[in-house]
Amino acid sequence: MNHNKSHEDQKYIEGLKQNNSFVIQSIYEKFAPKVINYIKQNSGDEDRAKDVIQETLITIYNQAHEKDLQLTCPFDAYFFLLCKRKWLNQLKKSDNKGVTINEELLSNDDDALELSFETTLFEQQHELFEEMFQKLGPSCKNLLKATFKIKSMEEVAKSIGVTYAYARKKKSLCIGQLTKMVQSSPNYQYLKP
Amino acid sequence: MQEQDYIQFDTYLSGNLDAESVQIFEDRLTSDAEFKRAFDDFKQAERFLEHQFNNEEKTQSFKGNLEQISSGYFKKEAAPEAKAIRIKPWYYSVAAAVILLFGVVIAQQFSNPTYDDFANYGTISLTVRGAENDLKAKAEKAFNQKDYRDAEKHLSQLLQNDQDNIELQLYKAVCLVELNKYEEADALYQKVIQSPSVYTSKAKWYLALSKLKQKEKVESIQVLKSVPEDAEDFDSAQELLRKLE
Repeated sequence: MNHNKSHEDQKYIEGLKQNNSFVIQSIYEKFAPKVINYIKQNSGDEDRAKDVIQETLITIYNQAHEKDLQLTCPFDAYFFLLCKRKWLNQLKKSDNKGVTINEELLSNDDDALELSFETTLFEQQHELFEEMFQKLGPSCKNLLKATFKIKSMEEVAKSIGVTYAYARKKKSLCIGQLTKMVQSSPNYQYLKP
Repeated sequence: MQEQDYIQFDTYLSGNLDAESVQIFEDRLTSDAEFKRAFDDFKQAERFLEHQFNNEEKTQSFKGNLEQISSGYFKKEAAPEAKAIRIKPWYYSVAAAVILLFGVVIAQQFSNPTYDDFANYGTISLTVRGAENDLKAKAEKAFNQKDYRDAEKHLSQLLQNDQDNIELQLYKAVCLVELNKYEEADALYQKVIQSPSVYTSKAKWYLALSKLKQKEKVESIQVLKSVPEDAEDFDSAQELLRKLE
């Protein structure tokens, strides 16, 4: 990915990142109809389309925050690919007859295809991290929550009644434990590009 | 990875490794693929936690906002006609004003009937197709456009050559009422009423309206009572009468 040249449509990413209602509204006005049409034509309805669009926008929001997402293609193509793939995956899950996703037919825009894959991958990683965080022991969970909410390790140490040095060390080990759990998950191998 | 490795990741990321250790650390990143992978995943875990907890409130408000916009959008989708006629905020104040106006009008109708409620002179026709007299056409046009000043002028001119024309007199009287020249108007109406013509009943009704405009209630009632049953304006006259009495 060339992260140096971002597309002019980066404004949509930034708008989502900043929770700008005007931008979100315009994303719906401009880009939702195509997705709704597609889902309706492929065994879905408006309610399903609403969910797919919302989930996709939350993923983009998360990726913008966690990974500083840079758009290298038109938002239209990128967003449509993401929604389409999400919908086809949902169909595949609910319908064992099997839906073949022919990605080549999805787009002839290589940048959009590549970036949308990256985002889909990010979404799966994000879900895996969420799942594994819940499996951490309560002391790690509490310490990590406090660490990333409060920011100052001194205060965190004080709040849970340990020394600063211990809190720092514990924080490293807890993140390490989360890392290890994610890596040893059966899903991990599918998540690496 | 060993516990020590994770502690080192964190120390490196917080910039607390000395120069020599940094060099060793970075060398290992390039030579040890597993170490590199663990470090990348550690970084990702940290960014995940950072976003998850530091932005917790922001994310909640984003999701709330998204749900609101999404629901609004899909409601609109379900009712496309609502999309076409989207009501702008200022329309509401206009609507409120209109409702208020209706209220006032209705209230007035129950209390005091006004001249404007009843004065409907319609359009007049003085010209015959194909044989158009300029002045007549002008008078007609002005009257029908409710330009009573010009209409009165033209009608007066026409009357100079045709002073007994009852129809013209009636229309001129209407103009005079509109121009608040009541004395002249009422005299003209009386003249029309006295002369035997098809305009007698009309003139009575119009005279009553003139009196109404002058707020001469008693006189108006008197004239209204004289409008005959077979008159075109009998019903209107009765209505006004009811409201005045």
